[in-house]
Amino acid sequence: MTTTTKYNDTIVKGFVISALVWGVASMLVGVWIAFQLVYPELNFNQPYFSFGRLRPLHTNAAIFGFALSVIFATAYYMIQRLTRVRIWSDKLANIHFWLYNLTIALAAITLPLGYNQSKEYAELEWPLDILIVVWFVIFLVNFFTTIAIREEKQMYAALWFYIASFVTVPLLFIVNNLSIPVGLTKSYSIFSGVYDANIQWWYGHNAVAFVLTTPFLGLMYYFFPKHIKQPIYSHRLSIIHFWSLIFVYIWAGPHHLLYSPIPDWLQTTGMVFSIMLWMPSWGGMLNGFLTLTQAKEKIKTDAILKMMLVGITFYGMSTFEGPLLSIRMISSLGHNTDWIVGHVHSGTLGWVGMMSFAAIYYMVPRLWNTNLFSEKLANTHFWLATLGILLYIVSMWVSGITEGAMWRAVDDKGFLLYPNWVAITEVLKPFRFFRGVAGALYLTGLFVMIYNIVKTIRTAGSGFKEIDLRVQEGATK
Amino acid sequence: MKLFDIPLTWFEKFASKWESDGVKFSVYTFIAILFGGLFELIPPFFLSRTVVPIATVTPYTALELAGRDVYQKEGCNNCHTQMIRPFKWEVDRFDPQKAYGRDGYSKAGESQYEHPFLWGSKRTGPDLAHESQIQPSEDWQRRHLINPRETSPGSIMPAYPWLFEKDATVDAESIRKHMEGLIVVGVPYTQKDLDSVESSVQGKTDGDALVAYLLRLGKDTANLVKTIK
Repeated sequence: MTTTTKYNDTIVKGFVISALVWGVASMLVGVWIAFQLVYPELNFNQPYFSFGRLRPLHTNAAIFGFALSVIFATAYYMIQRLTRVRIWSDKLANIHFWLYNLTIALAAITLPLGYNQSKEYAELEWPLDILIVVWFVIFLVNFFTTIAIREEKQMYAALWFYIASFVTVPLLFIVNNLSIPVGLTKSYSIFSGVYDANIQWWYGHNAVAFVLTTPFLGLMYYFFPKHIKQPIYSHRLSIIHFWSLIFVYIWAGPHHLLYSPIPDWLQTTGMVFSIMLWMPSWGGMLNGFLTLTQAKEKIKTDAILKMMLVGITFYGMSTFEGPLLSIRMISSLGHNTDWIVGHVHSGTLGWVGMMSFAAIYYMVPRLWNTNLFSEKLANTHFWLATLGILLYIVSMWVSGITEGAMWRAVDDKGFLLYPNWVAITEVLKPFRFFRGVAGALYLTGLFVMIYNIVKTIRTAGSGFKEIDLRVQEGATK
Repeated sequence: MKLFDIPLTWFEKFASKWESDGVKFSVYTFIAILFGGLFELIPPFFLSRTVVPIATVTPYTALELAGRDVYQKEGCNNCHTQMIRPFKWEVDRFDPQKAYGRDGYSKAGESQYEHPFLWGSKRTGPDLAHESQIQPSEDWQRRHLINPRETSPGSIMPAYPWLFEKDATVDAESIRKHMEGLIVVGVPYTQKDLDSVESSVQGKTDGDALVAYLLRLGKDTANLVKTIK
């Protein structure tokens, strides 16, 4: 194989495996703490396993363990093929890989010990923050040098989205994490109160934008056309929605702080830009769907394509829900409730998760030069994941709206109808229980995938042969 | 449609040029994302009305600060907000004694010395911004932390008995360092505050500190209302 000698695929393999490892870790903790919200004794009376300490572990492992591993795996895979050169430095790639995994492992140790700076999605304490900056710079140097030495002049759309992420994330990360260390495991943000909140949600919202959205759009733009062997539907739409997406997304942070004491003009700006964001988001979704129409007859047989279809559908759904929730009136009901938890998971499980799985199923046979062990198991995984997400968001919709409605309910004299907090919590228990079940379904799907991939890797080197499943299905009948 | 096409074609012409120039493309991308950040992050610092100071709001005492550290360490902010929105149902729920007059919602001045802010984003348990006025009993707070089910049957909060164990004592030296760090970022602690750390946290457990912190929440602004009366 000429491709294996030309490109460094070892680094891609490494990140695929770390994606699976951190994926299991994050979802296992997720399912666990979901059940803790129904059965609090599931912390087994250990300080390390209480909800408050495990929740940051869950989110960090999911976003920075699973999603980032997928981003790095696909970035290394794609950039070499789109620039037609090997990654600039194998050595830097390896250092990046090990330092990155060291950081996530240290996060998995320090967060249960209670070392966190209390900023959502930026909980890691300052020594780890510095470690992150170190390997991110190493990665950036390698990535951009590869672009500089490229043999293919034109940079394809998929690459734009990765570039946008990699120039934006350092800015967000560094500004939000500015703090004064007062010990090896403790620091205080240099910003206070209202200012701190504003900067935190500028970061928090754009972590959603530039970690969980743009790289996965880039992933879609590369793997989707590759897989169906058809070009993306509209290049012009790519251009328009790329530039408007990155320009508009960055403004939307204050919608997390509606009705809080941040200045009113700021809240309104956040709300207006959130609503505007709907269009560039759907631009990406439409480009995906329209591309799919060119290969719609494959959907029936192909698990990868099904996952992409569901992924793009959930992208469309959650980017519709987001602007909706950023409208002041809807926010007054939904804010702080389980609805938001459901919204986030429809994005992460539906969009990020499904697109990641699709990319991994696409890459693994090619990387290990063999064929997928079982197409049937991939299908089983697809159904478990899809049912899991659906059950998850439906139970969280019901729970969240019930919660919001019960908080605000007053009787005809104007007194609160449900002044007792625990009474509301009791009502929500069954929905929260089903959320746990939904998470377990999704996790089971991931285990099926890992079994499938381990079996696939066992036959490494047996030669990858592309099979058109439609033809195969017809032949066996 | 033609009208719509003109600006698109115009823009596409530029954008297509950048596609083959990595440096230009990255720089323009960076500029595009800077706009929103600059517009939203910089002006609040220069507008005097972003935070109107409240006369009675003062920094936490050493023991309260130790309690706040415990609050952060245990991740209480993952389930409890400290942000009461200006709605009747929130003000009624979180200011039942009407301790804040007609304005029982959160104001910017209340979190002036909060490094970092702890407003939270999920209200699995009740809001705590005014906890000192809702449940002022130290004994209740202690029993609730040791076993939430004893004071609130059906609660799904984890129990925190270990905070009150003998070896979970507050370390005066580190609290002093924390206060010195906070001075650097602008919290007006005095030399007197620093000198009294030792005596203030002597023999106290993490649990005592956390209770002291909870019983401080909302006290400043409630005091303000009392002085106005």
